[in-house]
Amino acid sequence: MFKKIGFSLLVVALPLLLGGLASVLAQVFFQPVPILIFKIDIGIVALLTGLTLTLLMSTFYLGMWIREQQTRMKLDGAQHEAEMSRRRFVRRLDHEIKNPLTGLRAALANLRETRSQDEHERAIKNADHAVERLSNLLADLRKLSELEERPLERLPIDIPQLLQEIIEAAQVSPAHKDRQINLIITRVPWPLPNVTGDRDLLGLAIYNLIENALKFTSKDDSVEIRALEDGRTIVIEVADTGSGIASDDLQNIFEELYRGSNARGVEGSGLGLALVRRIVALHGGAVDVRSRQQEPCGTVFTLRLPISRV
Amino acid sequence: MTHERITLLLADDDHTIVDSLAPFLERAGFDVLVADNGATALEKASSRHPDAIILDVLMPRMDGREVLRRLRRENNWVPTILLTQVGESSERALALEEGADDYLNKPFDPHELLARVRAVLRRAHPGERSLSAAWLLKAEDLVLDRRARRVLLAGKVLELTPKALAVLEYLMIHPDEVVSRERLLDAVWGWAYPAPTRTVDTRMAELRRVLSDDPTAPRYIETVSGEGYRFNLPVRGES
Repeated sequence: MFKKIGFSLLVVALPLLLGGLASVLAQVFFQPVPILIFKIDIGIVALLTGLTLTLLMSTFYLGMWIREQQTRMKLDGAQHEAEMSRRRFVRRLDHEIKNPLTGLRAALANLRETRSQDEHERAIKNADHAVERLSNLLADLRKLSELEERPLERLPIDIPQLLQEIIEAAQVSPAHKDRQINLIITRVPWPLPNVTGDRDLLGLAIYNLIENALKFTSKDDSVEIRALEDGRTIVIEVADTGSGIASDDLQNIFEELYRGSNARGVEGSGLGLALVRRIVALHGGAVDVRSRQQEPCGTVFTLRLPISRV
Repeated sequence: MTHERITLLLADDDHTIVDSLAPFLERAGFDVLVADNGATALEKASSRHPDAIILDVLMPRMDGREVLRRLRRENNWVPTILLTQVGESSERALALEEGADDYLNKPFDPHELLARVRAVLRRAHPGERSLSAAWLLKAEDLVLDRRARRVLLAGKVLELTPKALAVLEYLMIHPDEVVSRERLLDAVWGWAYPAPTRTVDTRMAELRRVLSDDPTAPRYIETVSGEGYRFNLPVRGES
């Protein structure tokens, strides 16, 4: 920005500088200094004045017009991107609703037609499951939209304690029972400073990452949580030795309802990482991912959160 | 002598919901009146004197909030459950003014609705303003000023986070009732969290610390093992 302004100033001032230089040179090299005398018709003076003003004004307006065009093009681009992202979202939403709804319909058809008690019970179980999936999707969609509106609590958060609690909560869920999660927290030379923010929301973000790590790995894989500080931010990493994320998917996984190629067939609303990104952004932080599918394969999610200023 | 059944008014413009919920509530032993718009709901609430009302918010002709406001303006304190969600601060104040007895957000489990209906009926004192519509909640020396979002214990202001205050408020509006952690999460946090026990318990620990309430011999909040929490003292409401 400043570079651009400096260049423009130089261009504008160049004629004046050259004129000044020529004047100095004329004073130095010509003795006596030649004097130009010419006569001019007053009509021509009027014409030349008019022409100069017109040139000046057209330059001014042309510049304005070009700038306007550039802004409009940028705006159109952003609008186009927003429209594309909205379409992608609707398409994915359609897909996410379609599956449980089909399951529900099939379960209802079975309920109507079957006479066997076993099948009756199975149909009810399947219907319940489909309803639960739709409810979870709706709940996550609501979280995402409410994040924009609800005021953020801003209190000091003890990160090691929060991590410990979230890990315990993840291990309690029946699907991930007996899974080992290593927690590494740097304490030397000083303990981790606090982060200011909404404890419940940050807990949710970290939980989503840990749950993903457990969901996409098997019992023999390792899951490790690390927390350290670099003077300005607290860095929290959630790492696993799972099969990794395809590089084509990596840039999209934080999008709402995006599902990577290895996430199909794994249950989830497809909104977990979008929530993580939003929550972390609300705290003035950032989230990043590195992953590889060749040995040694695995994935590392990195959260950076600003340290509380005391 | 005929045994009088309790009458509920169910107002929702979605027929599939009414068609399924009404028989469900009837099976549970209630007489159910239905209304498919706000104006009919208001008319039936005034003419048929139901014992409790289940009111949807978005309805044609008059929305549920307006129905409730008008009922309250006529000093009609029939227990009412509003089918919407109470969000954060600003909405909370609004909810207080409209004076619903409880809130339930769609989609809900019909059994949960039934539990809420029974709870508001149990809490209700006919013709009296309910605790949920009171500005001041008093339990002995503990006073919660809902408008100022402030809690006083023996005249001294307590330092509480907004969440902990909202938890205390919810428990005081539902005294002598076991409130599950999930219900607290739904009412105070608005969403379910992955670690509900921890999330709620952290705030409960804060509340107890500030109230100097001993969990082993609680004066205010008792932990009901495996079920949730209960506010133990009787609560008076003042407007």
